[in-house]
Amino acid sequence: MSAKNTWKLHRWSTILLLPLVVYLFIKIIHLSTLPYQLILSEFSNLWGVGFILIFTVLGLIHMNTGVHEILDDYVHSDVVKKILNVIISIFFLLILVFVCLSLLLIFIG
Amino acid sequence: MVQFNLPDNSKLTDGDYYKSEKCNGNTKKFKIYRWSPDDEKNPRMDTYEVDLDDCGPMVLDAVMKIKSEIDTSLTFRRSCREGICGSCAMNIDGTNTLACTKAISDVKGDIKIYPLPHMPVIKDLVTNLKTLYKQLKSIKPWLMNNKQKANDTENIQSRNDREKLDGLYECILCACCSTSCPSYWWNSDKYLGPAVLLQSYRWLQDSRDEERKERLKELDDTFKVYRCHTIMNCTQACPKGLNPAKAIAGIKQMIAQQ
Repeated sequence: MSAKNTWKLHRWSTILLLPLVVYLFIKIIHLSTLPYQLILSEFSNLWGVGFILIFTVLGLIHMNTGVHEILDDYVHSDVVKKILNVIISIFFLLILVFVCLSLLLIFIG
Repeated sequence: MVQFNLPDNSKLTDGDYYKSEKCNGNTKKFKIYRWSPDDEKNPRMDTYEVDLDDCGPMVLDAVMKIKSEIDTSLTFRRSCREGICGSCAMNIDGTNTLACTKAISDVKGDIKIYPLPHMPVIKDLVTNLKTLYKQLKSIKPWLMNNKQKANDTENIQSRNDREKLDGLYECILCACCSTSCPSYWWNSDKYLGPAVLLQSYRWLQDSRDEERKERLKELDDTFKVYRCHTIMNCTQACPKGLNPAKAIAGIKQMIAQQ
């Protein structure tokens, strides 16, 4: 991806994440007053699953581009940078897999 | 990896103390970084007491007085002594600025003077700015207009277009901004830095220039522009009151709109 597109992706993911973070914050306050079973039911509907998935994917894209920026800033060896990039990508992929599995488990009940 | 600790041969030691002969109470201590490539010694901080009743009002006046009356081996650059040439850029009281426009009275307590940070030191307060000039050359800081050459006519610019260059053309390339930028410290070999990018934006904004697309294409690089993280040290440091951070934001906007 070109430098311009990476920069745009980072900015757009920030803008899109802003309302989602506010919504999540309000949601957490709301959920904190509910019993466990009701919390599960909140996440087992399509809107709940959709929200978590969109939030996770956008968050991971934002984190991934952010971490790459930090690596570009401080790591000058191309080999070390490549190794770290692979490790970070695997880590983010694992987070996504875990989130998907958790949602699937809640959805199935 | 980025080097966070100073190498052993760069660690500062205490230097000589030059006491003022006149003890009238109106003296100020100037602690100045000294290093010479001629010996193997570490850099040191020499302290000079300067009689302010017999000295000009600016830091450069005091530094010149030290060189001419106390220690002739002190090395620094200076030329115009009125903030036009940018030669006397140095780190005074923790800020990169021009010694000729920095008043002694602006600094409370002792005045500490270092060379511009994170630049290779040639001697004392003189730094090597070769990389910066090479980077400046790379952005082609001149008007590129083939039509004008062919017609050999006047190159007219509207008043509005000329106004776009205000706040850009005044840059004197003193390097105070670039050397105050942490991103430039870490990646000075690849990141162009605020001073050069401000110059680049000056030519991108020039209505008479025909190579805007090519210039932007050259700049669309992970390192050349995008190492700027809007830290704003450059804007705070600029002794001419310019805003390199805004110019860099302008470049990013231009690239994004392309």
